Amino acid sequence: MQGRVKVASVMTGTAPKTWASRTWWTLSVACLVAVIGVLFSIFAFVIARGIPALKPAIFVTSTQGVAGGLLNAITGTFTLVFVGLIIVVAIGLGTAIWTVEFAPKWGKRVIRFMVDVLVGIPSIVVGYFLYVALVEIAGWGFSLIAGSLSLAIFMLPYVVRAADVALTNVPAALKEGAVALGARPAMVVSSINLPYALPGILTGILVATGIGLGETAPLIYTAGWSNYLPKLALTHSPVGYLTYVVWTYIQQPFEASHQLAYAAAALLMIFVFLTNLLARSFVEYKLGKNRAR
Amino acid sequence: MRKTLALALAALLLVSAGGRALAATDLLETGSTLLYPLMNLWVAAYQQAHNDVQITTQGTGSGTGISQAISGVAQIGASDAYMADMQMKNTPMLNIPLAISAQQVNYNVQGLNAVHLNLSGPVLAAIYSGEIQYWDDSKIKALNGKYASKLPHQQIVPIHRADGSGDTFIFTQYLTKSTPSWASGPGYGTTISWPSVGTAVGATGNPGMVQTCQNTPGSIAYVGVSFLNQTNKAGLGYAALQNQAGKFVLPTNETVAAAAHALDAKTPADERISLIFAPGDNSYPIINYEYAIVNPKQPDAGKAAELKKFLGWALETSGGQQPRFLDAVHFLPLPESIAARSKAQVAKIQ
Amino acid sequence: MEFAVGDAVRAASPATLQRTGSQAVLRVLTGLAALASFMIIFLMLFFLVAYAYPAIRFNGLSFFISPIWNIGNQYGSGTVTRAGFTGEAGAAFGALVFIFGSAITALLTMFVAVPLSLMVALSLVYRVPRAIRPLANALVELMAGVPSVVYGLWGMVVLVPWIGQALAPWVTTHLGFIPFLGGSAGSGNGLAASVFILSLMVIPIMVATTRDVILAQSNSLFEASMALGSTSWQAMTRAVLPSVRNGIIASVLLAFGRALGETMAVLMVCGAAINAFPQNVFSPVNTIAAVIVSQLESALTDSSGMAQRSLAELACILFIITLLVNIIARGIMRGADRRAGQGQSG
Repeated sequence: MQGRVKVASVMTGTAPKTWASRTWWTLSVACLVAVIGVLFSIFAFVIARGIPALKPAIFVTSTQGVAGGLLNAITGTFTLVFVGLIIVVAIGLGTAIWTVEFAPKWGKRVIRFMVDVLVGIPSIVVGYFLYVALVEIAGWGFSLIAGSLSLAIFMLPYVVRAADVALTNVPAALKEGAVALGARPAMVVSSINLPYALPGILTGILVATGIGLGETAPLIYTAGWSNYLPKLALTHSPVGYLTYVVWTYIQQPFEASHQLAYAAAALLMIFVFLTNLLARSFVEYKLGKNRAR
Repeated sequence: MRKTLALALAALLLVSAGGRALAATDLLETGSTLLYPLMNLWVAAYQQAHNDVQITTQGTGSGTGISQAISGVAQIGASDAYMADMQMKNTPMLNIPLAISAQQVNYNVQGLNAVHLNLSGPVLAAIYSGEIQYWDDSKIKALNGKYASKLPHQQIVPIHRADGSGDTFIFTQYLTKSTPSWASGPGYGTTISWPSVGTAVGATGNPGMVQTCQNTPGSIAYVGVSFLNQTNKAGLGYAALQNQAGKFVLPTNETVAAAAHALDAKTPADERISLIFAPGDNSYPIINYEYAIVNPKQPDAGKAAELKKFLGWALETSGGQQPRFLDAVHFLPLPESIAARSKAQVAKIQ
Repeated sequence: MEFAVGDAVRAASPATLQRTGSQAVLRVLTGLAALASFMIIFLMLFFLVAYAYPAIRFNGLSFFISPIWNIGNQYGSGTVTRAGFTGEAGAAFGALVFIFGSAITALLTMFVAVPLSLMVALSLVYRVPRAIRPLANALVELMAGVPSVVYGLWGMVVLVPWIGQALAPWVTTHLGFIPFLGGSAGSGNGLAASVFILSLMVIPIMVATTRDVILAQSNSLFEASMALGSTSWQAMTRAVLPSVRNGIIASVLLAFGRALGETMAVLMVCGAAINAFPQNVFSPVNTIAAVIVSQLESALTDSSGMAQRSLAELACILFIITLLVNIIARGIMRGADRRAGQGQSG
């Protein structure tokens, strides 16, 4: 590309314009450097303050008042995301299967459109809706189910989209072959479609997990907060989560609280980074498989 | 892979939650950030002796404390403000004083943070309504002859609480009782409609007030006395406020006690009373009872029993009212008569 | 994946009834799931509007014109009744400050972030050496995954003090003659901090989409333009970009929607202004999303419930606006996809 640029501009003798062009391109790289630079500084800031705070002790104690550890928050975050994923995989996979296998053309368009729009809902709207509907009116109080539902709403579009694309790409020949051999539709789905689409679906689940790990506003009003480990109760039992620690503990005037906030932020970044990495490696794996075919 | 992950997580949950899920009762205390530091000290000490109850504490603001106690989400709603008549009519709750606290007015003015400026209710009202905009305003100079020349021509940034706050309640009560124009204007409450001041900043929680004041030269903020240590460490100054007798007093144990003594005889049976702007030469004008807002009809008998035990302990002179807890946050213990009335209210919890 | 013929043969059953039965069950179950996905938005919208209805009647038009948000006097006596619904005495809910705040932060964010994103995307496609390209792309995508509280944390601890103590005093002193840059330097919490953080959050979204649509575009346009004598920059801006204009517009709209709806990061740096409009870029500001969080607890002390419903009305407004922006954006994107011949297989 660069060679072509130079040749073309030399050939047509556009020297003054080349100077302007080069300035703009330099500016574009400068913007890239600036943006990545700021990201790096945020990253470095969180790691520099968070890593020292990640003492082994915080992984085995819960928060106590304004200090303590992060065990309850970590367990709570994973519990909320896990239960949310159960809901999302059930509904999301179902939606995707229906869209690919059973839906009429207009149905496909409508579902895909609605799911895409779901991505843009402000988190506070979902949080407020669930607070009024579930925590207050239904009387469930701050609870695991309300928190998981709020995460599920955010995670759903990513799983549906990924499953949709993955299932669409199952070669028709395979499915037709199975049906020709007399397999029932459920059997076709479970033994042909799903296994083939699995890497794509898993990627979607991982992306959704990354989203779920980072949500705060909806959880404040659905899961509440707890200094203790999540109970095996779906309702009337608030759950702690890492993002709450980051938001609240940095506002306390105690150094110990700030340490916890940084530690929680560092953990969040690490988890997000890991899920991102895993998701990418799945994409690579699938691409590699497809190339090998 | 997912299966093993799921199993591992389930195992972790079972192991960690199983033991406690059976035995422990959960209590949730939420609300006032002014009471929060004391609540943490109390809970830490209480749970050492009683490990069959798990008390979660939260500093979310008095407004949240009241509303979550009413809705039943929290068992103890900590609030610097007693409930309003209308709220009591809709949902009668127990307003149980646990301690006596106070509030200071902090400021961040270069060169003057180490001394105590004199400020009065009317001047503060004027600052928060935008009538006084600079630190070297004549009205401020009039109260501070000694420092008149040191007051800079700097814009004042009034900081208020963005969340529903008992600190707002007691501060605006002080403004209401001392300044007629404020009384007929914004009035008092845990949330008020603050007058439109371009530079005004909203902070969340007492900690937010401290941080914002620290970061903003020329700012002024009302902060609970349990954060006095933090504001001193942050290098913020605090004001001597003008009381009803016209004297300028600092928030010390003596001045707070003087104000309390002047009014505690007037405390009604349901203990909802304002201790603001107490009479007396030595009375500090912004003091209040720290309330635990509790529903007398608890849905869960087990939680009710634990709740009564904890509150009872907090009211004991050998329990929560010990100096080692209260001194750390600059609170005062309840006088005998008030403590007795509080215990009577606790007895009403079922 | 191996086509498990054996499984299929074993599973084959001659009974047509069984086939129909299981197909029906599967169809119904997955259909229900799809229905659930479809209904979520409608359910939320319907519920919120129904819940906010008393407030909509009570507040009327003044909700959109009045800058004063007053939940009334909880400690007074008496109530005020409008249009058949009651609130506390003195209650008057005007959301103009928050609507304005949302609009100005989102618009300024676009003003800052769109040019930056275009530049970054262009440099990612054309200037970054092939070896580093995957790393650079990965970094940009990682930025999109950072939780908003972490942005808020950095904003509170690093950005706000820097703006309050370094940037704002310098700008107001030396550039104060430019409108909206002079005046009080403020505390660092305010419009500038919010715009800065929001830009950081929407840039990755726009960069990823812009980069994708440029890459999807074939090279012929670029080369043809170059052959006709333009510089590479001109070829880019005058030939390639206009052809992917719709995709870029869609991504800008999506980012705008994101900026409107962002809650936590803005909440931590905006300064929670109430009843006052920002006077310069460093003044405290408030957005609809942030004010719902910061005012919800206060609203709960309103025994008439009108404050809570007014917040629901705010949530409705935010919901409807972001829905509209999203729908338009998705519509443009689908149009662009269809036109480019890359429509999703129906």
